[in-house]
Amino acid sequence: MSTHLTLQGLTRHYPGTDAAALSGLDLTVPAGSCLALLGPSGSGKTTVLRLASGLDRPDAGDVLLDGRSVLGVAPEHRGMAMVFQRPLLFPHRNVLDNVAFAARVRRTPRRQARAEAKEYLDLVHLSDLGHRHPSDLSGGQQQRVAVARALAARPHVLMLDEPFSALDTPLREEMHELVRQIREALDPTIVLVTHDQAEAAALAEEVAVLSEGRLVQQDAVDRIYTRPRSLLVARLMGGRNEVPGEVHGHHHHSILGSIALPVDVRPSDGPGVLVFRQEAAHVTDVDDSDADARGTVTAVRVIGARRLLTIRPDRIDGDARALTDDLHIHAETPPGHRAGSGARVGLRLSPHALTVVPAAASPPGQVGRTPPATSAARTVQAPTESVR
Amino acid sequence: MRRPAQLLRGALAGFLVVWFLTPLIPLVLWAGAEGWSGVARLPERWSLDAFLTALGEGSGIALLRSLALGTAVAILATPTGALAARALARGTVRRPRLVAAVLLAPVALPVFAVVMGLNVVLLRLHLPAPIGILLVLVVAALPYTTYVMRVAYGAYDVAYEDEARTLGASPWAVAWWVRLPLLAPGVASATFLAFLVGWSDYIVTLVVGGGRFVTVPVLVASAASGTGNEPTVAALSIGALVPPTLALTAAALLRRRLTRPAVRLREPARADRALASTPGAA
Repeated sequence: MSTHLTLQGLTRHYPGTDAAALSGLDLTVPAGSCLALLGPSGSGKTTVLRLASGLDRPDAGDVLLDGRSVLGVAPEHRGMAMVFQRPLLFPHRNVLDNVAFAARVRRTPRRQARAEAKEYLDLVHLSDLGHRHPSDLSGGQQQRVAVARALAARPHVLMLDEPFSALDTPLREEMHELVRQIREALDPTIVLVTHDQAEAAALAEEVAVLSEGRLVQQDAVDRIYTRPRSLLVARLMGGRNEVPGEVHGHHHHSILGSIALPVDVRPSDGPGVLVFRQEAAHVTDVDDSDADARGTVTAVRVIGARRLLTIRPDRIDGDARALTDDLHIHAETPPGHRAGSGARVGLRLSPHALTVVPAAASPPGQVGRTPPATSAARTVQAPTESVR
Repeated sequence: MRRPAQLLRGALAGFLVVWFLTPLIPLVLWAGAEGWSGVARLPERWSLDAFLTALGEGSGIALLRSLALGTAVAILATPTGALAARALARGTVRRPRLVAAVLLAPVALPVFAVVMGLNVVLLRLHLPAPIGILLVLVVAALPYTTYVMRVAYGAYDVAYEDEARTLGASPWAVAWWVRLPLLAPGVASATFLAFLVGWSDYIVTLVVGGGRFVTVPVLVASAASGTGNEPTVAALSIGALVPPTLALTAAALLRRRLTRPAVRLREPARADRALASTPGAA
């Protein structure tokens, strides 16, 4: 089932639009791995899936499966089964026959097709619901059936187009667990489109960040968090700390003072923005002698068990250019940490989680902040409603 | 206790049933009457002679002609209307409003005016009368099939086709396994309407056919134009009701069969409820 997918210079310009939906995209998805395509809406994520699966033709570029071009191959022969955000279960077939669809269109006898379908329903833990009508299932169950139906097509590559974004959080986590189980059982190559960086990190080994039809960065999950190549990537991944300053002699100089950079981060000397995760800023006592910076807590936000502190750093005088009054550092504290608003604290930065990226033209907070999960509130509409 | 809204709905439904069935009562009475002076409340003598007379008037062959005409109109107008509706729904037509208006025009124009003009053209073309009738009626049926299929396509989600393609279905397989079943209710309605256009037409059949192509409506009309034929006219009319009623029932059954899978559990219980009702799973 595992196949290596390569996209080379994929370009698609829809007639009547100014900008290309996708320009010169190069991507590789090793066999049996899961790649997450992450980006704001309109960044071209879904276009990638449509071009790769053959539902749409690129203006330029190539799609390779195990090194062989499949551009001339019709979608039904490419072996790239898709699961969309809506389950799209065929309303004229019951659950079992939905899963048996791929086998039936390949002219497998009905009895055998249903027996195979049953195994895939087992895989998504719905073997008892085979005789139900899709509209009798809950949203989460419908999406499970959609996943089973795609797997039953035995695709070379499984394409997931924001498949869980219409589900509420507990259901989504259940689906993530299901994807992990499926990966263990079948080892499929997966391309997952999502706008949720947490989902990307939970499911994929690698993340490819898209913006305005271009690939901005493809990297392992850990590196995309700790070594974003631009402010855009850092923000898309939910990073909150951006400290403008100057790089000299492998140190970053800013309002926080002089901070040594990790060995593998080698920016050229000159202006640069120090970027680190809020999870990589550890709050300590204000008189901690090893603290990289000190400051005053201005706001506290509770995020589940953890808390997110907003800290105004003390000025380290000497570099007047970097001083901005609205610069804040965000740091997450573990449960039980007491520091409240107005408290004086010290900050230690994880030395390996720092990086420096070029300064951006736009002010922070304007680009790429993942929108609050409005989509989770959307209800899953039974597809049958529209065709009755 | 029933609420006023429910009562009102029930009353309205009852009124509609009476409204539709009342005209049939004299029809049934006349068909079974051997003698009815018109003064009496019910016929004085009963018999089924009217049906025999109707058969003697050539109603058998007229029935077959009407059936063939209705079926042929449905077979031609339904796919054509479906194609037009598909193009309109997908936005592949330039000036879709204009095209839709042209397609709906036959409903707005007086049939008599159109058919008088067309008849000259058809005569010049030396087309056999039945073919001419069929062509004109297909055009008359197109507005109905196009409109019904346009609505069906409007509610149809093309994403199902994308999904089916990635699951291994060729374009033909998609049409057969996905598009047709999902559009079946619309197709059934459009077919039925087109059949009715052919089945119930009088003017086009009379004018283009020159009175020699006798269908059920032509026969009924000619019988009704004489006096003293009331039992025969009533018997013919009742006979004319049967095929459309059968077709409507067939369409309704087909719709149910295609929109619901054959195997289905009756109880609406969902899995979560089923779990909750399991003993010990409180």
